[in-house]
Amino acid sequence: MNISWYIALSAVLFSIGAGGLVARRSPLVMLLCLELMLNGANLSLVAFARMHGDGGGQIFALVVMVVAACEVVVGLGLIVALYRNRLPIDIDELDHLKDPQKADSAL
Amino acid sequence: MNTLIAVASTVKAPSVEWNTLIPYFVLAGGAIVTLFASLIAGRTAQRGLVPLLAVATLIASGVFFAIGLHDLDANVLSGALRVDDLARVFSLLFIASALVSIVLAWRSPTLQDFGRGEFYSLLITVVLGMALLASAQNLVTVFLALELFSIPLYVLCAADLRREGSLESGIKYLIIGSLGSATLLYGLALTYGATGSTDFAAINVALSSAKIGDDALLLVGVALTFVGLAFKASIAPFHQWTPDVYEGAPTPVTAFMAVATKAATFALILRYTGQAILPIVDHWQPVLAALAVVTIVVGNLGAMGQKSLKRLLGYSGVAQAGYLLVGVVVSSALGARATVFYMLVYLFMNVAPFAVITARERAGAGEGFDGLRGLGREAPALAWSMTISMIALSGLPITAGFIGKLFLIEAAVDGDYAWLAVVIVLGSAMSLVYYLRVVAAMWMGADATASSVASGDAVLAGASPEADSSKHPELVAIAVLAAAGSVVFGVWPGPLLDLARDAAISFLQLVA
Repeated sequence: MNISWYIALSAVLFSIGAGGLVARRSPLVMLLCLELMLNGANLSLVAFARMHGDGGGQIFALVVMVVAACEVVVGLGLIVALYRNRLPIDIDELDHLKDPQKADSAL
Repeated sequence: MNTLIAVASTVKAPSVEWNTLIPYFVLAGGAIVTLFASLIAGRTAQRGLVPLLAVATLIASGVFFAIGLHDLDANVLSGALRVDDLARVFSLLFIASALVSIVLAWRSPTLQDFGRGEFYSLLITVVLGMALLASAQNLVTVFLALELFSIPLYVLCAADLRREGSLESGIKYLIIGSLGSATLLYGLALTYGATGSTDFAAINVALSSAKIGDDALLLVGVALTFVGLAFKASIAPFHQWTPDVYEGAPTPVTAFMAVATKAATFALILRYTGQAILPIVDHWQPVLAALAVVTIVVGNLGAMGQKSLKRLLGYSGVAQAGYLLVGVVVSSALGARATVFYMLVYLFMNVAPFAVITARERAGAGEGFDGLRGLGREAPALAWSMTISMIALSGLPITAGFIGKLFLIEAAVDGDYAWLAVVIVLGSAMSLVYYLRVVAAMWMGADATASSVASGDAVLAGASPEADSSKHPELVAIAVLAAAGSVVFGVWPGPLLDLARDAAISFLQLVA
């Protein structure tokens, strides 16, 4: 099978992730979209590794999976911290750094 | 099964150069020891033992890095890392920056909730990731090191758990930073696909021998890699997160990020452009030149209207990233030397502003311009250091900032980018507008005592502004030291310049 199909699919996955990151407002969904972007990159890494016939790309993909897991752990931890502080789980409503009046009421 | 064992026994494991790796092991071990020490120790030891362990770790690692300077034969772990002078000089810079951050955080009341052990341990981990990134010369190591410093940094930004702004900056930095990492990763994957190797030297060979210089796959890959790096180094138009995150993060963390994150990314950019993709220099040079111009203009314009000092420093950091990029664009030894030198003096110029912000925040005066009023009268030492730093950042003579910009301009003219030199000068002129506004606010603000007491926070915090400088001896000391440094190295730049030259030569000799 031609490698370009794999690359096309990986590009589609990456673009869906990037598009979702821009369009969605919930940090949880944004984390999902990040995963999609990373997995798009993973797919192309593994496909290229097959094409070149060396293991470098496959090892790279394994490393990326571990890193992605770490990223999600930190992201979920931050979302839990937001929830405990009764802050909105919504990126658009988290705007008090640009709008200092909100800060005073929060304190 | 027998054949598997037979195969396994013939595999030759890569040799591990333990001696060269000592400073990295010191950092990794120190991070773990600091974390566990904070579990065992009682409340009194928390303020003494834990910071002491963290400082000792950083200094020990720094000593090992310094001992290794000028040791040129430095490919370790089968070429995954290259511990040369570029890596060592930048690692020393990260360590110095982390030490400044520890001094600023030492008596911070807001870090009590978060836990001191965690704070110092994460900070050391970030330094480890940055040191690895500065020495990475393989795409896998690049990505791993980049995430090793980014992920703990997201947590550090949110360290002030009770304050909405800190959490907000943490989650924003996490999402934007991860977007940058994912873009970078996709770029690295395409580069790997086009060249068939993850090793910088092998990529260079593949690019210069084959006709793939015009390959769409490769060019898209390199472009996406630069986008990812631009997110990390806050190069416009990928800088929007910078002011928000700088403002929301705890001030010691912002002070560390402002210098170290930028330095780490620029160390990678220097090595990546100078070693891996040098054969296709004609393709990326004009793009980076355009990015440098946009970054200088956007940063300086953005800083002008700011009321918060941290946001102002965020935008000023964007502008400074533009100046630094000029040294990369020309892709010569002169340019690399200028970038490394400017990064070194940037460390000195950036300490005093954050020390002042920390002092004002503790006095309850906030970090806006209003909090600065009358600082000249209440804490002359802090105000003078701040004034010197502002003058140095804007690049006026007798300061290290002036010498740094001079070398960048020299490199730009030498590399046939004289118009970029003009942009640097114009940018510096623009920057005077907001840097001098800060100076004016400190020295000319009338009736300061009345206003900061009237704000009410000062009374709540139980602090009177007059007692400022006597209450924060460590802040005053470090601010004065850094300001003195930025004057001394402005008059006598020799030692730093030698370091910068060695760093530039150490990685460019591979391709020259």
